[in-house]
Amino acid sequence: MNRTLLLQQVLNGLAIGSVYAIFALGYTLIFSVLRIINFTHGAIFTIGAYATYALTGSPFGINGLLAGATLPFGLPFVLALLGGSLIAAICGVIVERLAFRPLRLLGADPLLTLVSSLGVAVALVNVTQYLFGAEPYAFPDPLERWPAAVNFGSASQPVLVRTVQVVIFGVSMVMLVLLTYLMNATRTGKALRAVAEDMTTSSLLGIDTDRLVLLTFVISGFLGGVTGTLIGLSVGLAGPYFGIAFGLKGLAVIVLGGLGDIPGAVVGGLVIGLAEAFVPAQYIAYREAVAFALLFIVLLVRPQGLLGRAQVQKV
Amino acid sequence: MSRRLSVSVSMIALALLCGVMAGFAADPPIPIGVSVAQTGPLALAGQDQVLGAQIAEELFNKQGGVNGRPIKLVFQDGGSDEPTSINAFQNLINVAKVVGILGPSLSQQAFAADPFAVRAKVPVIGPSNTAKGIPQIGEFVSRVSAPVAIVAPNAVKAAMDINKNLKKVAVLYAQNDAFNKSESETFQQAVRDLKLDLATVQTFQTTDTDFTAQITNVLNVKPDLVIVSGFQVDGGNLIKQLRDFGYKGLIVGGNGVNTAAIFPVCKAKCDGILIAQAYSPAYKSKINDEFKAVYKDKQKKDPPQFSAQAFTGIQVFVEALRALDKKSPLAKMDLAALRIELNKQLIAGTYDTPLGEISFSTGPGMGGEIVQKQAYVAQIKMEPDGTKGTFVFVK
Repeated sequence: MNRTLLLQQVLNGLAIGSVYAIFALGYTLIFSVLRIINFTHGAIFTIGAYATYALTGSPFGINGLLAGATLPFGLPFVLALLGGSLIAAICGVIVERLAFRPLRLLGADPLLTLVSSLGVAVALVNVTQYLFGAEPYAFPDPLERWPAAVNFGSASQPVLVRTVQVVIFGVSMVMLVLLTYLMNATRTGKALRAVAEDMTTSSLLGIDTDRLVLLTFVISGFLGGVTGTLIGLSVGLAGPYFGIAFGLKGLAVIVLGGLGDIPGAVVGGLVIGLAEAFVPAQYIAYREAVAFALLFIVLLVRPQGLLGRAQVQKV
Repeated sequence: MSRRLSVSVSMIALALLCGVMAGFAADPPIPIGVSVAQTGPLALAGQDQVLGAQIAEELFNKQGGVNGRPIKLVFQDGGSDEPTSINAFQNLINVAKVVGILGPSLSQQAFAADPFAVRAKVPVIGPSNTAKGIPQIGEFVSRVSAPVAIVAPNAVKAAMDINKNLKKVAVLYAQNDAFNKSESETFQQAVRDLKLDLATVQTFQTTDTDFTAQITNVLNVKPDLVIVSGFQVDGGNLIKQLRDFGYKGLIVGGNGVNTAAIFPVCKAKCDGILIAQAYSPAYKSKINDEFKAVYKDKQKKDPPQFSAQAFTGIQVFVEALRALDKKSPLAKMDLAALRIELNKQLIAGTYDTPLGEISFSTGPGMGGEIVQKQAYVAQIKMEPDGTKGTFVFVK
């Protein structure tokens, strides 16, 4: 393999991987605090993307309840992105109040929470389909005036990465830094880590656990909305199920990175992306299997994931 | 005894009288069933088909129907799934007692519903079933929709006309879908037959959203033509990303992207995709002009392929009924015999339709496979902002 091709494959891997990483960040945040796998993340991610689409003033298609409907105004893309993400955050809050809080108050088994989140995810996806139909949508492209791809090579030996993927990579890095800062350097972060450690004890210490759990869902929902929009910008809104499709891969990413570990989610995403990029051309359609095989091997060697800390059983 | 006899006699008399009266009264219209997707995700295509069939009914009845006796279309929604189309078929066969059925919309539905018609010996004409093996379902199943294997290579030839130096070809297809896989094999064969260089074959899944790896492999061979067999979302996304990576050469799309539904996926980057077509509104003939005029009057635009094929299906039924009636008057045949004779007649005929001249080839245990003389290729032209697009015919 020559150097240009090698560089191209590495950049391809980072580009695909940053999509997985950015998706997994919101996912892993909830796990790090609540120790639950939140399957609704994929659905909230979808809703965020649809909300952004609506806020840009774009029309809805032919099949849903809102067929042909358009908002009377259209926001510039960045404002629509923030608005759509806010709507996703609100959805996150509603989901927490309806599906997670009642179970938490009952002290239910984590498995019940898992099933409840799965149920809510399916319901949300169906509501999305009912409202917006099953057809694909595409955002008005805010990067339209920029070149479609960035050349990391020379003019004679181009190494191209799509501009939107460079943006996604950049945003995922910014999100990583902000989240790490929030968790490690702020009072709120400290309190969140205390809640993660032991909810009852932190509550006894005067931490408002209920408020912090809600905050976690707000942040996670907001991140979901941002990611949904950015990924939608890259590959279009492929219908109501498009977020769910990332759910399984996202799960693999956070397990690989170390459950609940925030830098781990990014590393996990990039590793899976790179592994997929180096799948030989003739087996490329089977790259999902490669990703999961890699996960399996890592878990055999490091059950706690790449960056996760080994869980010490407290007796 | 005598009383029972008199009841029997009067009943026989009544029956005879009814029969005689029916013979004297104006013949009732001949019922032809239409079962296409009027609801569900395929409803857009289904609406086009309904319209095409209705225009045929109107036009041929104006010309005197079947030698003076009008036809009457019986619509039964086939939905967008298999169970609905099976129900619709059974209703048309057993309740509406039609002489033949136009439908269903999808090949997948045809494989499910057509066997019921074969068992009941009712002729079926598929208006839009293009998968391999449709006429092989049984001897009562024919189609007026040219199979991909025949239509697809025309788009490659059109690409060669546009770029005379075309040499290297890259092929991509969705390997987890039977239709796209078999279509791609047809394309690959066509590339070899046309003595072009099949430089690379790449696969993807219909659920994929990122095609960076495949595109890198494609761009490495520096192709002059890229052929994509996928569905609207994956195919559209692939084409968009291919253009994002700076590919400037020609693109041929398969039947899966032969829909305006890809416009929102690849937007302005859909521009220039070449797709083989079974129908062109630009085709010059008397029947196409008549069909086009009525359609344009109703819809203020040129008719799409789905409408033209549905029209053609009804036309085949009508012309076969006319020919059959001349040989042995339809009024004298019972329904079962009429259905069998109609099937034989329609497969044997040659028809001048909006699709061009068509006839059928057949074999043991199969119905009629369309033999279509004309073939067309369209190129997608998008407006610069990517919101609207049209299919422009190139030949």
